[in-house]
This record gives sequence, structure tokens and C-alpha cells, in this order.
Amino acid sequence: MALQTQQIHGGGTRFRRTPLGVVANLLGWALLIVAVLLVLTPVAFMFVASFMPARDILKMPFSWWPDPIIFENFWHAIRGNDGRFIFPRALLNSVFVSGTIAATTVLFSTMAGYGLTKLRFRGAGIVFLFILSTLMIPFETVMIPLYVVITNLGMQNSYAGLIVPFLLSAFGVFLMRQSLLSFPDELLDAARIDGASEPGIFFRVVVPNLWPVMAVLAILTFESQWDNLIWPLLVVQSSELRTMPLYVVTFMEEKSTNEGAMVAVAAISSIPMLIIFFTLSQYFIRGANVFSAGKE
Amino acid sequence: MARNSARLTVGTRRALWGWAFVVPALAFFGLFAFYPIVNAFVLSLHRKNVLSLQPPRFVGFQNYVDLWNSAQFWNSWKATGIFTVSTAVPLVLVSLLLATLIVSRLRLQRFFQMALYTPAVIPGVVAAAIWLMLLDPRGIANQWVNFVLGVSGVDHKWLASPDMVRLSTVLVYFWGKLGFFTIIFIAGLGGIPTSVKEAARVDGATGAQLYRYITLPLLKPTTLLVSIMAMIFCMRTFSTQYLFTQSGAPREPINVVTLGIYTTAIRDYQIGLASAMSIVLLVVMFVLAFLQFRVSRTQDG
Repeated sequence: MALQTQQIHGGGTRFRRTPLGVVANLLGWALLIVAVLLVLTPVAFMFVASFMPARDILKMPFSWWPDPIIFENFWHAIRGNDGRFIFPRALLNSVFVSGTIAATTVLFSTMAGYGLTKLRFRGAGIVFLFILSTLMIPFETVMIPLYVVITNLGMQNSYAGLIVPFLLSAFGVFLMRQSLLSFPDELLDAARIDGASEPGIFFRVVVPNLWPVMAVLAILTFESQWDNLIWPLLVVQSSELRTMPLYVVTFMEEKSTNEGAMVAVAAISSIPMLIIFFTLSQYFIRGANVFSAGKE
Repeated sequence: MARNSARLTVGTRRALWGWAFVVPALAFFGLFAFYPIVNAFVLSLHRKNVLSLQPPRFVGFQNYVDLWNSAQFWNSWKATGIFTVSTAVPLVLVSLLLATLIVSRLRLQRFFQMALYTPAVIPGVVAAAIWLMLLDPRGIANQWVNFVLGVSGVDHKWLASPDMVRLSTVLVYFWGKLGFFTIIFIAGLGGIPTSVKEAARVDGATGAQLYRYITLPLLKPTTLLVSIMAMIFCMRTFSTQYLFTQSGAPREPINVVTLGIYTTAIRDYQIGLASAMSIVLLVVMFVLAFLQFRVSRTQDG
């Protein structure tokens, strides 16, 4: 399970060393560089503007070098308009909610995948089909009835209400099942002969060998929850329970929010994911592919 | 087999463990995926106001009839349709172009992949908030577009005129998802066997011919997959439109179906009607998912 993204040669069409080929090659570089610059502009804008006095952010023309460089925006962002420090709390809420969901999704999906592939039981096929059928249900179509379920369970406006509907994902089960199909049975049988119990085999043999896929699933899950706005919008009323996306929305609507504080909130909210991305980019790139493979 | 009544056979034990490993997932999907869907359908046949204490009243397919007759519902499908087509098509074409360019580079492949993917890790609400500033009348969008057009002081009304608001939401979404699809295309391009190309090259095919007659046909499964994924993603868009309307952009041109469901349930308290809207959305997406499976089957065959 090598995680290195290999340099892909011959995948595309390489240009020949004719005058036309050279021009095409140079044009390719130019296009790519322009594309990258355009794509990174909003990100650069966000970080540059967060060091500017609010009145300079929408000044024409925009100055890409803040003058003076100030840090007040960050303080304003962290403190909030009312000085109640809800934003740090919202970030922690998001870390907690997304982290918990990532952990349970990985655990239960791997368990289900293992049960479905390696502990064959009558009905496993039907169970898998049942889970697979829910893969095609987009969250947006069940959110209203789900909201009714959560309300009936008395979980609205609570951490449980934020977490419980996402404890597991059909995509996760699907992904782990696919990965376990090619898992060598010899390893499991050897452990069984040594007298290991099924839970023992799961935690000591399966999990250690499967962690790269589990990490990909954890990252994908964390990322999608970190970004989740619509569900917190439905279930959360009290300000202490706001997650980061919900906080961003409410902060934007507050009258005394200025551009500086807003852009600082945006920058701070982006940093955790950006750091994870730059340190674990292999997993993200693999994750995008895994996702497409899962959809097939 | 009497002596085995106390001690289970190895096979049975294993099957029981199998159930034990699967039960959490089964219970979860039963309660939080399957039941809500059934419940959505049941609710869609009722009239139910969240605030009233009265029990839901059975109204048959009245909610669906109401939707059929509702100009707003048709408008929201129009908004979703326009958004989906005008986002998904450029997404597929541009990500294919960028992927093609990236794999034909001998260096910096990884840099380009990462740079293009960066927006995908910016949370959707943050992206929308940043773009709201870029698209402000005094923002960078006006400044740059005017620079390119060689004019000055023109306001393109990114957040005010109906068509421009549509374009703005498309821009935000396009920007966020471009890198994701580019990476999938790069993997698809990498999966094309080199031997086929070498053979064509030996036969004297030029670069352009190679791309047109070898690469593109062999890439077709990836292209179809990406198209359908992009389509389904776009139909689910919510945060951008929500933030834009919250910050005062005209609602009608970007009142997509998901936003309509949310507003109907949460602002108007019409759970039954919102459920009917959800069921319609599900059916439409199901048709698309079915298409997707058809595609992957052709791919295997």
C-alpha cells in the first residue's frame, strides 16, 4: 500500500521536439501557471487582508502589501464582537465533533467491512446490499426526516445531535469492504491457529495492516464534517454549541463585524485544514482517487 | 451433533462474530438512513406544521400536487439546473485540460496538483465569505476584470444582478472543486497503458492524433464518472447560496432546491411539503446514480 504519488509519465501526450511542439509546451506552462495563480488568489487575498486595517481591504486598488501590518483583526476575531470568545469555542466544537465522527466512522466501517468479508455469514450479501443502497441517498434528501428523528430522540441542540447522524458512513463501509476483499486470509488463519480471538485478530492483525486506508477514510470524513454547515444550522440553537461553519455564518450577520475581523475569522478557520493538507497531502490526493473509486 | 450443543462449531462461531461486527452498522443505517427515507415519504403524504401541536393530517399526494403548481418550486429546479449545468460542464472540461497539461510536465507535477487542490480544503462557508469580499463592488473581481477589459470604474454587479449572482455562485463552486476533479483525471490518465501509446507512436501518430484517438477514448470511463459526480455534487450545493442570500444577494436566481427544502422546513415550518421536496430530489438523484452504475458496468464490460 505505497502512498507515494508516482510521477505519471506517458499518461498524457508529450510534446515532440518540433517548433510546434515547443510552442505547445510553453503554452502549457503558461496556462498552468496562470491557473495556479488565479486559483490561489482568494487564498492569498484572505491571508494578506487579515493583516490590514479593515478600511484598506475594500480599497481600490487593492494593495498586496499591507501597510501598516496589524494584528488587531485576529484579536477581534478571537474575542468576537461581544467579547465572549465564542469563536475559539466553535473551533474546538468543530474539532471535537469532526474528530469523534472520523474516529467512529473508521472504527465501525472497518468492523463492518471485516465482518462482511472475512467472517462470512448467511445474509452477508443482503446486509451489504442494504448498506450500499443507503450510499445513494444524499444527505440533503434525508435531513428533514432525520431532523424529526433527532428531535424525537431529544437530541436537538446537543453534541449528540451533531454527532449521532454521522457516526458511520455507507461510503466508509464500502471502502473498507473493498480494501478487505484483497486482505490475505493466510494472515488471519495463522492468528486463529495461534489461538487469537476474533476481536483480537481484528485489532492486532487487521487494523495494523489496514491503517493507510483507514487514515484516508479518517481524513475524508474529518474534512467533510469540518465543512458541514447545513446540519448544525438545523439542530443547533445555543451559541455555545455552534461549530465553526455555523459561527462563520452568524458572525458575518452581526452588525458590528467589519471586513478585517471577518477575513481574520476566515483565515483562522482555514488554517487547521491547510496544515493537515500540507503535512498529509499524500492522503488527500489518494483520498480524491479513493473517493472516485468508491463511487464506481 | 448432540455433543456440540454446548460448544458451537467453528463455522457458527465465526458467523456469530460476523454478525457482531456488522450489527452496529446495520442498526445505524436502519435508524439514520433507511428509516428517515421511509419517514420522509410518509411525512410527504401529510400536512404537518412543526409549531402546531396537532398531529400530522393525511393529505395523500396533495403536497406533490402543490409542488407541481408552485412557481417557486419550479424556479428552484431552474436555479439548480442552471447552476449544475453551468458549473459541471466547465468543471469537467477545465479539469481535463489541466490534468492533461500536468501529466505532460516532466517536473512540478506534484506542486501543480497540490496548488490546484488547495481551495478544496478551505471550508465552503469560508470560501463563500472570502468571495463575497472579492466580488464586492470595490473588490478585486471588478478591479481585475476592468483591467483585462481595459476599462475603469465599471461595476459588474456580481452580487446584485440576477445573472451575475448565478455566475458568482458558479465561480465559487468551480474554484472549490476544480483541483479535486483534476486529481481524478490525473489518475485516469495514469491508468492508460503506455504500450498502446507506444504502438500508436511507432505507427507514426502525432501528439495531437495520439490524444484524440487513443487517450480520449481510453479516458472515457473517467470522463463519464467525473461528469456524473460533478453533476450530483452540484445538485447538492447549499452553503454558497445560503451565505450569498444571507448577505443580501437576490434570492430568486440562486434559490436552489436544497435551499428551498431548508427554507420550507425551518422558516415556514412545513415539514410535509419539505419532505415531498426531498423525495423529488432523491428521485432525480437516484436516476443520476442509476446512470452512474450503468456507466461503471459498461466500463467493466
